[in-house]
Amino acid sequence: MRARRERAARERVAARALEGSLLSLAALLGNTVKDADGHDIGALRDVVVQWTAEISYPAVSGIVIRSGERDVLINSRWLEFSAPGTVRLHSTRAYARAVKRGSGTVALAHDVLDHQVVDSGGAQIVRPADVYLATVGGRVELVGIEVGVHALLRRLGPKRLRGRIRPQRVIDWASVDGFAPRPGVDAPTPRSRSRFAGRPGAGIELRARAADVRPLRPSEVETALKRKGTAQDREPA
Amino acid sequence: MSTVDAPTSGQATRTARSPRWLRRVLGLLAVLGPGLIAANAGNDAGGILTYASAGAQFGYRTLFLLVLITVALVVVQEMCSRLGAYTGEGLGALIREQFPLRSGAAAMALLFVANAGLTVSEFAGVGAAMELFGVSRYVVIPVALAAIWGVTVMGSYSRAERVCLLMGLVFLAYPLAAVLAHPHWGAVASNLVWPHFLHTKAFLLLAVALIGTTITPYMQFYLTSAVVDKGVTPRTYKSERFDTVNGAILGDVVSIFIIIATAAAIGGTGPLRSVSQAAGALRPVAGAAASQLFAFGLLGASLLAAAVVPLSSAYAIAETAGSPRSLSRKLREAPVFYGVYTVQLVIGAAVALLPGNLVELVINSQVLNGFITPVLLTYVLILANRRSVLGDAVNGPVFRAIATVCVGVVGVLSAGVLAQTVAGWF
Repeated sequence: MRARRERAARERVAARALEGSLLSLAALLGNTVKDADGHDIGALRDVVVQWTAEISYPAVSGIVIRSGERDVLINSRWLEFSAPGTVRLHSTRAYARAVKRGSGTVALAHDVLDHQVVDSGGAQIVRPADVYLATVGGRVELVGIEVGVHALLRRLGPKRLRGRIRPQRVIDWASVDGFAPRPGVDAPTPRSRSRFAGRPGAGIELRARAADVRPLRPSEVETALKRKGTAQDREPA
Repeated sequence: MSTVDAPTSGQATRTARSPRWLRRVLGLLAVLGPGLIAANAGNDAGGILTYASAGAQFGYRTLFLLVLITVALVVVQEMCSRLGAYTGEGLGALIREQFPLRSGAAAMALLFVANAGLTVSEFAGVGAAMELFGVSRYVVIPVALAAIWGVTVMGSYSRAERVCLLMGLVFLAYPLAAVLAHPHWGAVASNLVWPHFLHTKAFLLLAVALIGTTITPYMQFYLTSAVVDKGVTPRTYKSERFDTVNGAILGDVVSIFIIIATAAAIGGTGPLRSVSQAAGALRPVAGAAASQLFAFGLLGASLLAAAVVPLSSAYAIAETAGSPRSLSRKLREAPVFYGVYTVQLVIGAAVALLPGNLVELVINSQVLNGFITPVLLTYVLILANRRSVLGDAVNGPVFRAIATVCVGVVGVLSAGVLAQTVAGWF
C-alpha cells in the first residue's frame, strides 16, 4: 500500500517535469499563430507529419492554419514550437500552400486525435485524448498518444488550464503499426502505413494484442525521451 | 456478394425438415427479425402508457400525428443504420470523432438525462404493473433494481432478455383488441389521412411526448451499434435497410392500434390516470383477465427496458470516452461502463419511488425525451450529410431536404412547447 503511494507520488513528479518538454496537440489546437513581427496569421487547425515505412517517430512537416476563409499549410522550416502548446513563425516571409494530402501525410487532429486505437487483431481498445510531440535533435517529432482520462477532462475544462500537461498513460508511437481500414474492408498488401489515415472508421493499429499493450507511465516517458535525446546526440550530423 | 450468399441460404432451407408453414413463419421472422424485436422493445412502459393516454384523452385525433412521426422515424432510423453500415462505428464513436470534444460531451450529457428519464419511467412501469397484482411499489421497485443489476452484471443477460421479450409480445394483442372493440372506422380513416390538431397546451405536450417515446434518442444509438455488431457492410446494407424501415413501420402500426383500441374503449374520458384504465382496452380480447394480461406484458416490457436503456447509455458513453464496454468484462476492467449503468439504474429506481402518480411520471419523462430528441437528431443529420463520413452514401439533396424538414419540425414543436412550459412557471 505504501509502496503504491510512493510510486504514485513519483509518477506525479515525473508528469510535472514532462510539462516543459512535451508539446500537446490539444494545447496547440485553436491557438492563434503569430509571425516574427507579432502579427496574427490565423488559428491553428492541424499539425501534419510525414510518415513513411522506415520511421518510428515521424517529424512534423507543417501546420494547417485557418487564414480568413481557407485553410493553408505552412512548412515546418518556418516554425518554432515551444512546450506545451505554442507555435510561432520565426520569419515574416513564410510561404503558405494549399492543403493537399500526399502519400505519407498524417494530419494529427483529423486522423489521430479522438480516433480509435485498435490492437493487432482489429479489436478497438481506446481513443487518444491527446497527441504528444517533442523536440528531438532540432526537429519536432510525434512521440506518443495519451490514452488516460485526465487529458479528456483537461480538454473539457477551462481554456487557461489547457497548458497543464500531465501525462498519465502514453502509448509509444513506435508501437503503432499503421492505419487500419474499417472492419470488412480488405487492405491491399503491402500497404503503406498511412494509406487509411483519415478514412471513416479507420483505426490506429498497434503491433501488439490488446492484452499485451501496456501504456507508459510518466517516469517511463521521461526515460524514453532522455534515451532518444542521447541517441540523437551520438548520431553524426 | 449477395449472389454468393443467396444459394447458401436456399440450401439451408431445403435441408430443413420443419413443416412448410413453420418455415414460412420463421423465414418471415428472420426477415422482420431485429427490426421487429427492436420495434416491439420500443413499446415499453413509456410507449404503451403514452399511446393509451393519447387514445383516452383525445380519441382518434393524434393518429395523423403518429403517421407523421412514423415518416420521421423511418428517415431517422435509415440514416442511423446507414451510418453504422458505412463507417463500422456507433453513433457515440462518430460523435467523438466528428464533433469538437465539448459538443460531443454535451450530446452524451443529454443522452444521459434523456435515458435517466426513461429509466425512471421503466421502473414506474414495473411498479404500476405490480400494483395491478396488489403489490406495493415500495417493495417491487427495490427488488426489481437488485434483480436487474444482479442478472445483467453477474447472471445470464441473454436468457433474461428472451423471457422479457416473450412477455412483451402480449402487446401484439392490441390490434386484435382494436378490431374487437368496434371502433368508428370512418373516424379512424379520416384522422389517419387528415390532421385534426387541437391548439391546446395539453395536446401539444402530448404531441411532444409521442415524439419522445416514438423517436427515442436511445433507440438511434442502439440501432446504429446493432448494425455494426451484426457486421453489416456497404455491400450488405440493402437488406439491412429493408429491416430498418420495416421495423420502424411495424412498431408504429402496433402503436396506432394501441391508440385506436384505447380510443374505442375509453376515448374522451380525459388523461389516463391509472394503469387499470389502460388495461381496460384489452377487455375485448381478454375479458376479465385483461388487467392481469396487461400487467404481465407491462412487467416484461418494463423490466427489459429498465435494463436496456441504462445499458445503452453505458455503451454510448464508454464508446465516446474510448473505454472498455461489455457485459462480459469484469467490473474492474470497465469502470466507466459499469459506473454509468449502475448510477442510471439507481437514479431511475429512486425517482420512481417518490410519491406521486406513476402514469403522470411516465408521460412526463416521455416529454423530457421529446425535448432532447431533436437536439440529438441534429447530430445524426449533420453526420449523415457529411461526405467525409459517408462518401457516396451521403444524404442526397432530396433526402437531405426531407430529413431536415423532419428534424426541423420536431425541433420547432419541442422548442415551442418547452418555451410555453417554462413561461408557465412564472
